[in-house]
Amino acid sequence: MNRRFFLKSGSVALASVGMSLSAPAFLERAVLGQARSTGKRKTLIAIFQRGAVDGLNVVVPFGESSYYSARPSIAIAKPQTGNAEAAIDLDGFFGLHPSLSSFKPLWDSKRLTIIHASGSPDNTRSHFDAQDYMESATPGVKSTSDGWLNRYLQSKADPDRSLFRAVSMTKTMPRVLQGRADAVAMSNLSDFAIRAGRSSAELQGGFEAIYARENDSLAGTGRETFEAVNYLKKVNPAQYQPENGAQYPRNPFGNSLLQIAQLIKAGVGLEVAFTDIGGWDTHVNQGNARGQLGNLLQQFGAGIAALHQDLGQRMDDVIILTMSEFGRTVRENGNRGTDHGHANAMFVVGNSVRGGKVYGQWPGLKSDQLYEGRDLALTTDFRDVFGEIATRHLGSTDAKSIFPGYSLNQSKFKGFLA
Amino acid sequence: MKKSVAILLSLTIIAAQAVAAVDKRPKTKALTDEQRIIHVLNRLGFGPRPGDIERVKAMGVEKYINQQLNPEKISDSVAENKVHDLTVLNMTTAELYEKYPQPGQLLRQLQARGKLPADLGEARENRVKRGANANASEMPKNDAMPAPSPENPLQNEKYRQLIQEYYRENGLQRPERIMVDLQASRILRAVYSERQLQEVMVDFWTNHFNVFAGKGADRWLLPAYDRDTIRPNAMSKFSTLLQATAQSPAMLFYLDNFQSVSPNANANANRRGPLQMLRPQPQQQQRRGINENYARELMELHTLGVDGGYTQKDVQEVARCFTGWTIFQPRGGAAAVNGMMGREIDPGRTPGTFVFTPRMHDDGEKMVLGHKIPAGGGMKDGLMVLDILAHHPSTAKFIATKLVRYFVSDNPPQVLVDRVAAAFTKSDGDIRETLKAIFFSNEFNSTEAYRAKIKRPFELVVSAIRTIGADTNGGPGTHQWIARMGEPLYGYQTPNGYSDAAESWVNAGGLLERMNFGLALANNRINGTNVSLSKSNGDQSKVMDEYLKQLLAGDISAATRATLLKQLQPSDSTTKVVGLILGTPEFQRQ
Repeated sequence: MNRRFFLKSGSVALASVGMSLSAPAFLERAVLGQARSTGKRKTLIAIFQRGAVDGLNVVVPFGESSYYSARPSIAIAKPQTGNAEAAIDLDGFFGLHPSLSSFKPLWDSKRLTIIHASGSPDNTRSHFDAQDYMESATPGVKSTSDGWLNRYLQSKADPDRSLFRAVSMTKTMPRVLQGRADAVAMSNLSDFAIRAGRSSAELQGGFEAIYARENDSLAGTGRETFEAVNYLKKVNPAQYQPENGAQYPRNPFGNSLLQIAQLIKAGVGLEVAFTDIGGWDTHVNQGNARGQLGNLLQQFGAGIAALHQDLGQRMDDVIILTMSEFGRTVRENGNRGTDHGHANAMFVVGNSVRGGKVYGQWPGLKSDQLYEGRDLALTTDFRDVFGEIATRHLGSTDAKSIFPGYSLNQSKFKGFLA
Repeated sequence: MKKSVAILLSLTIIAAQAVAAVDKRPKTKALTDEQRIIHVLNRLGFGPRPGDIERVKAMGVEKYINQQLNPEKISDSVAENKVHDLTVLNMTTAELYEKYPQPGQLLRQLQARGKLPADLGEARENRVKRGANANASEMPKNDAMPAPSPENPLQNEKYRQLIQEYYRENGLQRPERIMVDLQASRILRAVYSERQLQEVMVDFWTNHFNVFAGKGADRWLLPAYDRDTIRPNAMSKFSTLLQATAQSPAMLFYLDNFQSVSPNANANANRRGPLQMLRPQPQQQQRRGINENYARELMELHTLGVDGGYTQKDVQEVARCFTGWTIFQPRGGAAAVNGMMGREIDPGRTPGTFVFTPRMHDDGEKMVLGHKIPAGGGMKDGLMVLDILAHHPSTAKFIATKLVRYFVSDNPPQVLVDRVAAAFTKSDGDIRETLKAIFFSNEFNSTEAYRAKIKRPFELVVSAIRTIGADTNGGPGTHQWIARMGEPLYGYQTPNGYSDAAESWVNAGGLLERMNFGLALANNRINGTNVSLSKSNGDQSKVMDEYLKQLLAGDISAATRATLLKQLQPSDSTTKVVGLILGTPEFQRQ
């Protein structure tokens, strides 16, 4: 009673699945795979801050006097004991935005690292282009058809052939995961079912039969969908309780991270997870220690800290990576905000990172040090960060194929992973 | 830039060769007359209602297309009656500010005038602020997570109740109602309007000139945007439409141009005027500056396209040209309080309307795309820029590509794009002439294009309601399905608008919601939408064929039909038949 299912491309056999009541074969494989590799499957959780976060107010170069002269009303004050609105000192030069206090313990235990002045070398200041380039990882080339995380999936066969190898907790499939390799996008695990009361199972069976028949892209997606539906029923997402006292922010971002943790713990073979959080495009009234950016950072930091706490020892095999399409102007604009800029700061969190250090060469903020006279200059290409994670964490042996047109070289890796 | 031109050239050559090759083979199969009618009803409209196919057949499809191209000549009383009770639609922005005030803002203004009721003031003090969620990306989402629970829910509940009472006593409405009405009007018109192409073009342009309702004051500005900016110009000249969007408060607010000020503005702004009103904190002696956001998106997304041949310098120069294009009292001033005190709105100074403020304008000379904009032009600078952009060859190409993708195929045939761009240029950007070049083309009327496009969620919901002959009030119960599938109306945050290509919509979560929507509709489980299906007489084969004809004009393979039939027991209701058909891959296509 096995049916062979095929991916969207029609070329890769994905899984053979029995009737909906028996255990899906991919799950059996995933469970066996976990046992075989003693749970050492590596996972990357990538978080995109859409809208271009102001990295200079996130990881504050308080040691630069130019920082303060460029930002008369929105700068974050130098670290000062007892001042909750001042930057949180990291290394005597950089400090965290005070709303990121939840990151301090991670920094102190060397599980958090920062790559500053990093990003895309392309000079576009368009959100859409820059997001496109960061997700395709081919700056300046719009014609790249797939995203870099998808190319990673393509570059390495998955012995377990897990259906949940790549999951995006978003309504639509993000560019970064689009491509030939299979990935699932969903906004909520518990809604992920045919919802028709007592007739649900019967109707699902009906749709499964219809979608099994055809071979266009829509029907292929339909078949994948039902495999996922059948599996999730068993995980029972509604009953999930975070561990270690972790408290996720009660908003869509926190909800996405919680569900990623749930999938990791369910042992379904999750290797690449993605989610995003918007609202960073602070052209107007950005705020300083408090205000728009601070409020968002609070959610952002609390979510990541909760995820780290919830996963506990599992963080040995998990890395959380954050990115945003570009930074923002060094000088604040006329609306107490910042405009589209260039280089930015990325966070990497995990038990395996060599944390407690800000990586990357600092280019300085004096007028003559700025990119195009206005923005933080770039000293680390984001592909070197992605490449290091793909190679040293995910274990890709062919990371060059993930970054076409770029001469990926381990000597350029920052060394935040051993 | 050179590289992309080279790529484009080589692509054009490849395309030309491909066409030459195609010409040697048998011609692309044309549609049958019946197929063409279905195709036109699907693409120029939101799908056929019962009886539509016969109606178009009787009048002739070309006549129908020409009629649709002239919506002003089509009587539309049914749709107008349906939206009659949506009071928001006929209110000016000033009236919306007056009658749909933001509670926090209203309370502050009442307090400033010493009119804040004591209990309301106290409840406000006790309220625990949501704080972290007060960012620009927030907009009411029906499927969003519940709001963070306040530390003391009772006090928050009290505050809500008091606000509600106060609003009721004073004839006010919560601002959330504005979007509810506006979204309902879009659904109702798409379902009921005889001017189907007009509604399709409203959808197209609303998306092309996207504005996000969750950004600041935009929810108060969007009814006027739909009524005064998009609708009257959806089938006029592109240049007229472009100028209307450039002067629309909704766009000026969304892309920040309303507060873009010449760096030299302070020098000549020592008098009282709108500039002062833009400064909430005048004690700050800091210069307000240029904001490039609109200038960039105007070229990248509204006209030239990202590879359309402009530079960062052009962006800066265009931004200078548009300094001073702003909004009078962008957040409504004290409209609500004034209204409650019986003060009439001064018609000459209406909150939330476009105004050009010379004192904010950079009056120096500019260079835009090689054109000199002379010094001292004032508001003419921006108009000149719009004129240059509307007539730029890149704009013709960009708009043609988008229209062909929208109406014909996710992979727009280059020869058709070129022809459509030529029609655009030749007609001075006349939208009707441009559309004609598409609708009467072989590419549009080919089997390759037939049922080839995936319906977007809005199209899916409206077409299902139409084809099954359901009745709807267009309310949140219906809109939330569109939102769940990923396309809340006015809910797209970034200026590029929703994608029109299938890969953005064909994913596991979205597909499941499509099936669930079909089931909910067939089972009458959508609040505000009612469908009455005939009772099954037990002959499932006959029932199924009737609905396959009604919902898909019978366009389904014999194998799928057989599979469908196998799912049905003699005791099954017609709701199951209809629910399953609405969820088929075939119904997702148009």
